[in-house]
Amino acid sequence: MNTLTSIVTLLIFPAGITLILAGMFYEWIDRNLVARFQNRVGPRWFQPFADAVKLLAKEQIKPAIINPYLFFGLPIFALAGALTAALYVPLFGLAPPHSLTGDLVITIYLLSLPTMCIGLAGWNTTSRFSLIGATRTLTQLFAYEAPFLLALLGPALVAGSWQISEINGYAQNHWLILTQPIGFIVAVIGLMGKLELPPFDAPEAETEIVAGALTEYSGRGLMMFHLAKSAELVIGLTLVSSFYLGGLNGIGLFLIKTIILLFFMSILQSLLTRLRIDQTVGLWWRFGAILVLAQILVTILWKGFMP
Amino acid sequence: MSTEQKLQTAEQLLAPWNKETIRPEENRLDVVIQPEALHEAASALHEAKWGYLSAITGMDMGVEAGQLEALYHFCNGPAITSLRVRLPRAGAVVPTIADIIPPATFFEREIKEMFGIKVDGLAVTDHLFLPEDWLPDVYPQRVDFTIEQAKAMEVSHADQMPEPGRVGENTFVVPIGPQHPALKEPGHFSFTVDGEIVTAAKMRLGYAHRGIEKAAESRSWVENLYLFERVCGICSHTHAMAFSMGVEQLAKVEVPARAQAIRELVAGLERVHSHLLWLGVTAHEAGFDTLFMYSWRDRETVMNLLEQITGNRVNYSANVLGGVKCEIGDEQSKAIKEGLTYLETRIRHYLEVVTTDAMFLNRTRGIGTITAPEAERFGLLGPTARASGVARDVRIEAPYGAYVRYPVSLVTETNGDLEARCVVRLKELLVSCFAMRSILDNMPEGPLTARMPRKIPAGETVARVEAPRGELFYYIKSNGGEIPVRVHVRTPSLCNWVSVLEKAVGRQLADVPMLIAGMDPCFSCNDRVVTVVDSRTSENWSWKRLREYGIEYYSR
Repeated sequence: MNTLTSIVTLLIFPAGITLILAGMFYEWIDRNLVARFQNRVGPRWFQPFADAVKLLAKEQIKPAIINPYLFFGLPIFALAGALTAALYVPLFGLAPPHSLTGDLVITIYLLSLPTMCIGLAGWNTTSRFSLIGATRTLTQLFAYEAPFLLALLGPALVAGSWQISEINGYAQNHWLILTQPIGFIVAVIGLMGKLELPPFDAPEAETEIVAGALTEYSGRGLMMFHLAKSAELVIGLTLVSSFYLGGLNGIGLFLIKTIILLFFMSILQSLLTRLRIDQTVGLWWRFGAILVLAQILVTILWKGFMP
Repeated sequence: MSTEQKLQTAEQLLAPWNKETIRPEENRLDVVIQPEALHEAASALHEAKWGYLSAITGMDMGVEAGQLEALYHFCNGPAITSLRVRLPRAGAVVPTIADIIPPATFFEREIKEMFGIKVDGLAVTDHLFLPEDWLPDVYPQRVDFTIEQAKAMEVSHADQMPEPGRVGENTFVVPIGPQHPALKEPGHFSFTVDGEIVTAAKMRLGYAHRGIEKAAESRSWVENLYLFERVCGICSHTHAMAFSMGVEQLAKVEVPARAQAIRELVAGLERVHSHLLWLGVTAHEAGFDTLFMYSWRDRETVMNLLEQITGNRVNYSANVLGGVKCEIGDEQSKAIKEGLTYLETRIRHYLEVVTTDAMFLNRTRGIGTITAPEAERFGLLGPTARASGVARDVRIEAPYGAYVRYPVSLVTETNGDLEARCVVRLKELLVSCFAMRSILDNMPEGPLTARMPRKIPAGETVARVEAPRGELFYYIKSNGGEIPVRVHVRTPSLCNWVSVLEKAVGRQLADVPMLIAGMDPCFSCNDRVVTVVDSRTSENWSWKRLREYGIEYYSR
């Protein structure tokens, strides 16, 4: 019985198929909003789904000089990592299926897995576009990862716990966006960096390096990376809105809060010009990291002096 | 200094090597020199800062004459001095002048491949236009070239492995093109990168070479007008205008004032269309898609206007030899004015965006800076040169057609970076809009066309027009027949390539697409021979067959 529940939670609800479908829905909202901001019409509601069906049905072309185990294994790892991360977050405003002390660290680690896999996938092929894309992906990972982690650490500090469900519970009574505004901004921008959305899309800048690390991927492999990214989008939105936007309790609040967050991310995406990789790194370490550190310092002092 | 004085100065400068002086037209001076003297003569003009090298025209005088000619055109305002070098058909050699005038490299590579004029001392020996496995001693633009000669090299390379591209420990060659998302047309660049920094750059053209110059030699003057209109899909009007201006000069036909005004009007609209398109492409290369979408949306306004006036959106076909085809009535005039009002507000808005948007400026300000002396040395043309503070605009230096009556003012910037190139192009549009309004307000009355003879009197002429990308150079030669003997087209993009190749070195790979886009390259302009091969029967189609296929296709 227990095994069956585990399988259902992992593969059907809330992770697994439901999460993938939600990812497609959020991707559609994002694409549509950006399209509207750019004076375009945008895709119809089933477009992400149609893309998935089409790509999954297509042949996956294997390049001649690669390690085949890595080539076929990496997309699976990426998707598995993203789906597993969903087990620890209050997805759809429900209590996380699994919860343990320190699961915030596990979730952030699992969320980095797709990016690491994409980096390795680029390194695995001999395509020059992939190699440069992989270098950029990993460089960017080192740029945003620490500030993003620090931005999520702020709420954890005030809640006095490393457990996501507890932080979520604490946040339901405290709108941390008001007390830690810098942390919120860094978290949102960090999420955009994590998802390689514009202006942080240098790793897949098509006018320079075609599709970056994924240039050699087609069919199923490409789609699995894509789905991992969509799942990451939903999980990232859940994390940031549960920490900063007054917690998540119930599906209605979940939808409202995450979609508002996505709306702001779409505005930023359409307003900003792509950053070069050196500019991205400079931005994160010169501003992002220092600002969020100052925020954490203030939080620690506040906690220390005002019990 | 008047044109006459300029030409006299040039004649004095060239006196030591002068073998024969010809004055084909009022503003032109032809000086025949020996090939050995070419380098000294060119450097004499160059050192005296007498104009700039505009083009090198190759010519085959025929098998009986046994001679090739190379013409080095130097332009200085309206004055043109051509150094005419006569060479034997077998073993034609000229010294390179690229060491003193860098843009000559591309011109020299062109005459080397197309006419078999060996250029002594040319640093680059790769092909620029022709395939790498093109047969030696087959030169497509010589008069005795036949298509059978090209057949020998039709070998498939599909099974070949591409070169691995790893040069050193951390050094790679990144190929951009012929098929690449950054390029909307086929060209090939290979950038050697060390990490993210470009350390060497190379380029190659000819992927869409259609041999228009060669094709022109078997078509009547009228047919050629439509052929040259198809050199470029963006500046089609300027090509047709330059060709018809040249033919009218040869035939000594005066084009009616109204026709000239309409020509300038269409050229102005075309400039708006071209520059807005460019703005969108540049924004896309920078990863600023919102600007790309908006500028292309507004470009639709001008496309609709062009369609309303001429009936076509791309190859407007507004010109005929001796005038224009389309009338601007009250209705069109009103529509254009309304369109211009809208466009002007939008252009002002974009001008604000490109100069104030901090994120976009991150990618344009101080990037690819070309100083004025460098721009002179590279021989840059058009907005790319004007952004560096070089006042080079044919509409102002040597006004032609209606530009005498409705002048445009010169727009220059001094910074020479990508931002300056954006600003120059947008400000230029406001100037163009102003000129278009004055044309519409004071449109001269009269006929639209003048009568043209079917046979054009023998002679040779040069027509220069300011295309959206810079000076467009046409050299036309007639022997008094119904078809031209030689038409040479030098498009502005060819002159501006040097700036990309020189400026990419030392920059980040991410800046490269911006640098390429910054000069507004037009590959189809550079590439002018098509062989249509039926994929089922793999036979070459003749022009006649193509024409029949076209008629059949559209009558279905």
